[in-house]
Amino acid sequence: MMALTAAGAALGSSMAAVAAGAGSVASCALGAGPAAAAGAASAGSVGLAVSGVAVNAGLGAAAGAAGTAGAGLAASGAAGTASSALAATGAGVGAGAWGADAGLALVEAAAGVALLVALAVPLSAYLVNVMEGRRTAAARVLGPVERAAFRLVRVSPDDAMDWRRFLVAALALTLIGAAALMALLMGQGALPLNPEGVAGLPLATAFNVAVSFATNTDWQAVAGESSLSYLSQMAGLAVQNFVSPAIGIAVAFALMRGLTGAGGSAVGNLFADVIRAILYLLLPLALIGALVGVAEGTPQTLEGYQTVQLVEPVAVDADGNVVDADDPAAVEEVTSAVVPLGPQASQVSIKQLGTNGGGFNGANSASALENPTPLTNALQCLAILLIPLTLVLCLGRMANDRRQGRALMAAVLVLLAVAVAAIVLAEAQATPQLAQGGAVYLGGEGQSAGNMEGKETRIGVGASAVWAAFTTAASNGSVNATMEGLTPGGALVPLTLMGLGEVVGGGAGTGLVGLLGFAVLTVFIASLMVGRTPEYLGKKIGPVEMRMAVLTVVSPALVILAGAAALCLLPGGAAAVGERGAAGFSELLYGAVSAGANNGSAMGGLDANATVVNVVLGLEMLAGRLLPMAAALALAGSLAARESVSAGAGTLSTASPLFVFLLLVIIVLVGALTLLPALALGPAAELLAAY
Amino acid sequence: MKARSILRTAGSAALLLAAATALCGVLYPLAVTGVAQAAFPRQAGGSIIEVDGVAWGSDLVGQPFADDDHLWGRVSGAEARTFRADDGTPLLWYAPANESPATDGFAARVAERVAAVRAAHPDQGDAPVPSDLVTTSGSGFDPHISPAAAEYQVGRLSAATGRSPEEVRAIIAACTEQPLLGVVGEPRVNVLRVNLMLDGVL
Repeated sequence: MMALTAAGAALGSSMAAVAAGAGSVASCALGAGPAAAAGAASAGSVGLAVSGVAVNAGLGAAAGAAGTAGAGLAASGAAGTASSALAATGAGVGAGAWGADAGLALVEAAAGVALLVALAVPLSAYLVNVMEGRRTAAARVLGPVERAAFRLVRVSPDDAMDWRRFLVAALALTLIGAAALMALLMGQGALPLNPEGVAGLPLATAFNVAVSFATNTDWQAVAGESSLSYLSQMAGLAVQNFVSPAIGIAVAFALMRGLTGAGGSAVGNLFADVIRAILYLLLPLALIGALVGVAEGTPQTLEGYQTVQLVEPVAVDADGNVVDADDPAAVEEVTSAVVPLGPQASQVSIKQLGTNGGGFNGANSASALENPTPLTNALQCLAILLIPLTLVLCLGRMANDRRQGRALMAAVLVLLAVAVAAIVLAEAQATPQLAQGGAVYLGGEGQSAGNMEGKETRIGVGASAVWAAFTTAASNGSVNATMEGLTPGGALVPLTLMGLGEVVGGGAGTGLVGLLGFAVLTVFIASLMVGRTPEYLGKKIGPVEMRMAVLTVVSPALVILAGAAALCLLPGGAAAVGERGAAGFSELLYGAVSAGANNGSAMGGLDANATVVNVVLGLEMLAGRLLPMAAALALAGSLAARESVSAGAGTLSTASPLFVFLLLVIIVLVGALTLLPALALGPAAELLAAY
Repeated sequence: MKARSILRTAGSAALLLAAATALCGVLYPLAVTGVAQAAFPRQAGGSIIEVDGVAWGSDLVGQPFADDDHLWGRVSGAEARTFRADDGTPLLWYAPANESPATDGFAARVAERVAAVRAAHPDQGDAPVPSDLVTTSGSGFDPHISPAAAEYQVGRLSAATGRSPEEVRAIIAACTEQPLLGVVGEPRVNVLRVNLMLDGVL
């Protein structure tokens, strides 16, 4: 009983701290924008009421259908059930008021998710074999390289580390990687492979970018095509695009070993894990993706940028803005344009697979150079979630009970289905500001129906909306449309997905870690309610485990709220936003959420290269990565030391639909408690004011 | 942990980083570059449209068009601040607008664009303007426009170029790509290619 009380106290105090953080963000935002709050309060037109009811009804149906599907999945293991619910919703939508385009987008998203789950099943078996050092067919080719790497780095896969050594190794690799990248970025002006002659980055920018890529965030403070040399891209950023997800995967396996091991203190060897994840998983997949990308049109060259002649020369003013030729401010005629090149295809594939998301170009995958065709768009969109979903199924294989992985997968797919449906329907609706009372055609005849603002013609509204959900469900952050261009209702989805702690797939490794943190929390709370001993996968959950699970789950939210509060309060933070009022707070909050959750997507209106933004978000990214990682490894170590107990009559089944439901409730509850106040001041106020 | 053990771990981390840099940061991109240059030289070089030694642009990078005898594309994010040629003359490049579609400022800008588009297309009267013509893209240099937006401009293009509407439509059709397998992606018209054909360059 004492154990339970102590753990409960840990939970309570963490929640109180989070609530305090939310309060400080709320109060500072209120101080900044009373006009926005007033606008939100007074909004309440008939239009809002009508469309709001329609959206709620649709979402309710979607959530209900997806919920049933999730339970069916957990019980029977039919992997496609959740996505068929999404497809059914899509068919219904297609026939309803939203039009055929939204329906088709939902059906395609459902097909994509089904394909991903189908791929994740064999890939999870392969990955577990690789990470546990068992023989695989690939070892015939890669085995010699693997052994050479072990000798070079002076490690042995049999030298199992306890959690402290594992953590020190992960910290060392992350921090040395960030330091080396920072040095490279600052010195790029004097280094080779710099055909455009870009200068070294200033200190604060280099710190932000280096931390960003070493923590798997890939927030982009500067546009790559204008600020980074080819060397910085390929030997700097791309290397972290491989190493940082590999560290995440290693930590996830350490936690799984702790959960499923038979006692002892060892959780694996970080260096061996990282080497294996890169060699057997990331590098082969990246190679395939890069070759498809270049065949479709993504540049891959070490030659400098191409200059092309403009068909219509344009006049520009003294600030470089394009103006009419007869404008008195015109000072110069521009007759040529630039086409940025470089080794892009090799970087784009790993940016997606490793849940990195940092583009070669500032426009990321909205740029037709990085994402030239519908085929590349579909493949990149799927690649975003491939490894996160594979890792969820790895849990079942590590536990020798595949129902455990399926139960977590069911929870993930339910949340994903709701998010995809919500954002696709929101974007299909567009906004009155775009509709102009019917003067702008928003239908689907000969064009993509809905809100095209900030979206690319070849991709269209539906596929852009699906991507926005995928990229924030996984901790990826790459974009194929601007996040700022989303409707206020649509913008709530990525914010919510990131705010839930990135457990809907999440980052490579970190997503599963967060999900397992929530699972432990759920086991504890559920067992407490019915007076059973909390156990997960045969391991007793004691006070230490509870403290660490809570830390794993709430530390990203704490970091986010602290960062948002700092940006609001520090001089220069509020000045960096592009819009005023609620929209401005949305930009700022989005930045803080994106950095703390290690996502990296941005609402472009925020001046991401302002010094205060660079430093605050840089620190946020480090804390948002390392705190949960340390807590997860402590949890792994503590669990590893526990003997496995066999399940008795009093054990709560963690593979049942009931558990999936409870897990969902806990995830949504914690996410809502931590981020609702802040969300209400930004996107929710914007949504109300828009109508 | 003892200091010596931490140092040893840091040493392994540094060695691993060096090995990863050699493999993932040098060998991998160079291998992809080699294959790309051999198998897909045009794509690897940026899909440049070159006619008689003149590079007119890339299939993948849109340009701003406003002349009466050219097909117009998405609202361009063109600027001349970022890049300069070796001789110091500014070069055109693009940035996304990053605008919320739910603000009064946005409504005013769209209204302005609608008025300008309608003024240039008197034959279309009060027909709704296809959304592609009055919205910015995700990159600022979307190379495409929707078939609906291209069709909206046929009357103007026909009058300004002296070609029949059928000729203009044939050129647009020649530069239109369809969705993959009929469902993935959107039908799209490559604006630069249409204009090079209208100008007789292609």
